[in-house]
Amino acid sequence: MSKIRLRLSRILVVTRKELIDFVRDWRTVLAMILVPLLIFPAIFIALPLFLQGEAAELSSYELTVEVQGELTDNLSVHLDDYNLIIVENDLTTTGTLSDPGDDSSRINSKQGNMTIHAILRLVRVDSNASESWNYAIISDSTNELSYEARIRTLAAVNAWEEDVINTTLMQHNLTRDETFDPINWDGDFSEADVASGGELAAMGLAMFIPLVVAMWTTTAAIQPSIDLTAGERERGTMEALLCTPTARSDLLFGKWLAVATVASVSVLGQMAGLLFAINFLTSGGLETPSISTTGVLLLLLSVILFAVFVVAIELAVAVRAHSVREAGSILGPMVLVFIGPTLFAQFVNLEGIEAWWFILPVFNITLAMREALMGIYDPMHIFMWISTSLAYAIGAIWWASKQFNREDLVESLS
Amino acid sequence: MPEVLLKVSDVTKSFSEVTALSTVSVDFHAGEVVGLVGGNGAGKTTLLRLLCGLYQPTTGSVQGLVDSEAVDIHQMREHVGVVPEATGLYARLTAWENIRYHSRLNGIDDDMSWTRTERFAKLLNFDQDLHRSTRGFSRGMRQKTALLRALSHGPKILLLDEPTGGLDVTSARMVRKLVRKLGDEGGTVIYSTHNLAEAEQVCDRIIIIHNGTIRADGKPSELISATDCENLEEAYVALSEDDARTETTEDEGKIARAWRKLLTGKGGKNE
Repeated sequence: MSKIRLRLSRILVVTRKELIDFVRDWRTVLAMILVPLLIFPAIFIALPLFLQGEAAELSSYELTVEVQGELTDNLSVHLDDYNLIIVENDLTTTGTLSDPGDDSSRINSKQGNMTIHAILRLVRVDSNASESWNYAIISDSTNELSYEARIRTLAAVNAWEEDVINTTLMQHNLTRDETFDPINWDGDFSEADVASGGELAAMGLAMFIPLVVAMWTTTAAIQPSIDLTAGERERGTMEALLCTPTARSDLLFGKWLAVATVASVSVLGQMAGLLFAINFLTSGGLETPSISTTGVLLLLLSVILFAVFVVAIELAVAVRAHSVREAGSILGPMVLVFIGPTLFAQFVNLEGIEAWWFILPVFNITLAMREALMGIYDPMHIFMWISTSLAYAIGAIWWASKQFNREDLVESLS
Repeated sequence: MPEVLLKVSDVTKSFSEVTALSTVSVDFHAGEVVGLVGGNGAGKTTLLRLLCGLYQPTTGSVQGLVDSEAVDIHQMREHVGVVPEATGLYARLTAWENIRYHSRLNGIDDDMSWTRTERFAKLLNFDQDLHRSTRGFSRGMRQKTALLRALSHGPKILLLDEPTGGLDVTSARMVRKLVRKLGDEGGTVIYSTHNLAEAEQVCDRIIIIHNGTIRADGKPSELISATDCENLEEAYVALSEDDARTETTEDEGKIARAWRKLLTGKGGKNE
């Protein structure tokens, strides 16, 4: 076996073992793969469905609203439509209608055999309209049923108001559209945009993909980086491993490949979950982003270079740590070092952007991803971010390799 | 004289301000079972780590010899099997998977590795446990797995760091028997221990290390007669007591040294 093949085979042996070790730990699989995959569908799909269910349950209750003052037939119909039981009473308040006065104690308290959940106060006022009213709804926002009664009453009042407006307009031979919507867009609003659906989808992705990639790559690599370095030191497995004829650089590369694989699967899982959730929310209306082959290649290259850089740095920092706890306490806050610039770079205008942005670490990759997604291919920008990212990645690998050659690495620290 | 496999020449190993080994020179020959005997912190583990290239000497050199040709100690690794004090097993892998991982890293074919492993596992009465996960293994089972792992690639030299430490009587006896058998079959075993009876029973040659220096090197009977003692334990005491460890400023940290200087007016780094 040639020397290169032997080294390659050893690297793959390390990677394979680390991946087997990884998938056999169900807690890690849960945290790194299943949770990221399901988190967005859970937030965007399951949570709204759950909330809908809760709202439906609340709306099934028959609630009682006391109407103080003159109740018109029209309003009565609307209140009835919203599943409200009406109790009529005289208006006794002397202040503004919003002042609860003695009624504050009557909300949610038993009145005979029923509970008043909200009180609607009405006073007719003079105006040129067909009719004009002042109103207020007295309710308790800390009580779910009272709050629900307020929402329903308000909805009924709004519907009644629509009727009143329409009646007034009809009396003056006007329609609602003529009065309130005299200037209209002709045709399909989205049809006038010359950008295709695919281009719009790509622009939408450009708004969050760089941030998502930076955030998830950084966070997803932390746990495996620690486990494969500081974890091995703490468990005492590192010494035996370093006694094999495998070069330390090959061990490091094998571990790097394993961490990068786990982090990539985790990021892809989160991305798939996010896109599925967005597609579900837009009722399948999410168009396939139109990105050219060059754009896809540049995007992939930027993600790979970023992953090489981040994973190498995290491995190096974890190797330096004297324990799993110490590694975690350093790497946790360190995520901000990557996410901060990414967040910042999201808001940098790409139009007329100064070239020096493309040499700054992390900023350059974020901007490169944005340009690739938006179909902007500036040769100078591309040259600058590729060359500098490559330099940063090589530098990070060199540093990680240096850390992995430390003599104290053999010492078990537990 | 059998061929020399490992040659340690004037090696000093320091860790910041602590000198773990001081101008140590020793040769290890093919076919001998050598016991490195010494108390805690004597420098046994440091010497073993130097022998497998995990540590670099501060001064001096450690060389391997393959067919009488000197090679860098790292090139010797494929000829060396190591059982560290912390056995270093992966809990989510089976015993065989742990062994196979290391033999693959040693470039050994799985079938060959299995054949060797099965043979030694039978000697250790461990062949029925090879496919069990190492999680929950007793100290003895872990030690046996680590031994099999170290032997799986057919090394010329076996380095064992306290291999019977924490083992029950039966397991310790099995390990000793295996080591003796390897020695009888022409294998080279370098074996660190602070159990003198064990060293006397298993080793052809004993090296007594004390305070980072070699105090004696020879057959157990030679050490006993050289010190006019009745047994190895007395010989060890005689060889190590004459110059008992005294706390020197070299063993102290900077803060301790500063305190000593402040309180006594003495204790500068070079005093």
